[in-house]
Amino acid sequence: MTAATVATDTFEVFGTTAVLLVTAAAALGPARQLADRELAAVDLACSRFRPDSALTVLNAAAGATVPVSPLFASLIAAALRAARLTDGDVDPTCGRALVGLGYDRDFAQVKALSPGPSGLPRPGGPVAAAAPVAGWRSVRLDQAVLRVALRNGAQLDLGATAKAWAADRCAELIAAQLGCGVLVSLGGDIAVAGPPPAGGWRVRVTDDHAAGPQAAGQTVTIAQGGLATSSTTVRTWTAGGHQVHHIIDPATGQSARSSWRTVSVAAGSCVDANTASTAAIIRGEAATGWLSDGGLPARLVRPDGTVVTTAGWPADDEPATAVS
Amino acid sequence: MLRDDMRVATARRDNGIRKISRLTWRAGIGGVLCSAVIAVAFGHHTQAQATPRHPGQSGTIVVPNQPPAPAQGGGQVTSGAS
Repeated sequence: MTAATVATDTFEVFGTTAVLLVTAAAALGPARQLADRELAAVDLACSRFRPDSALTVLNAAAGATVPVSPLFASLIAAALRAARLTDGDVDPTCGRALVGLGYDRDFAQVKALSPGPSGLPRPGGPVAAAAPVAGWRSVRLDQAVLRVALRNGAQLDLGATAKAWAADRCAELIAAQLGCGVLVSLGGDIAVAGPPPAGGWRVRVTDDHAAGPQAAGQTVTIAQGGLATSSTTVRTWTAGGHQVHHIIDPATGQSARSSWRTVSVAAGSCVDANTASTAAIIRGEAATGWLSDGGLPARLVRPDGTVVTTAGWPADDEPATAVS
Repeated sequence: MLRDDMRVATARRDNGIRKISRLTWRAGIGGVLCSAVIAVAFGHHTQAQATPRHPGQSGTIVVPNQPPAPAQGGGQVTSGAS
């Protein structure tokens, strides 16, 4: 099958852009229906900005044990697994820290309320107030009985893993139920399943998922698993006179100060790729050794555009562009 | 008299051997059944650990079957932060 026979659908979800590719045009409609159903369920489970979400209920429970759905329990388990596999670098209890930095509402509103060109804060705009991260071990999840409690004042934010987890889940469901090859991209977190098109899925790796297929970066193909990119250049805003971003270093409760502006990782699943790319941003220089030791192919871009690769990631055919 | 005593003793011996034999068979069958149950239980457990249903459930970050391959031109989709 050639790329020309791949059918595409693009839509908005989770405040970002989703792209759905399938290798059988007739499967596109049913695939979209499956994706819509799953993504709606994930959003209802773990949106931080919906008053009716399970996550909002849990965060408001003040440490009490709360019953949860199997889906929400799986999402929390995925987040805790990411924390465990990264020695706590990817921590789901960064909710309070994000609120402290002003990310307490839908990002479009946060951005709109950030100081304008004058640098003066807008009324109701974000202010920076450091908030400690309770730590992922404060989350007491019992999947057998579907109960969870947040200790030590922890507030969950599943933004680091939920989107990637949802991409994996959608891709698996679509491939299993419709028998076609599928790629699901949720804001640049990419999962593929089923038989790929000839030559694999072509992915443009760049800083911003919304930049388009010709943006500065590198094109690679994948045939299995997932590919995710984390960056300090996207989802940024100004709080307390400083530019901040959404990747929180649990050690400080502040936006991570990284050696890398952007890290892309390929892994056996999208959630694993995203776990590794987020951890790499937080780990800084130590990330290359950690990724290499784990056999994870990665492309790490420094603020000046210098590219470092690990574990078989192909060499760039063009230089990355520096970001000011 | 002595012959009667010997017959009784022989009958008791044979009866005891039959009981031990039955017990041995039952214990053997019980052992085989227990082994089968344990094999099924632990075999399933081992399989579940060896091949997780989803890579995202593994105890390590799972590496891809093969690294990304180089390609020319634009992509069908873009991976960047959001």
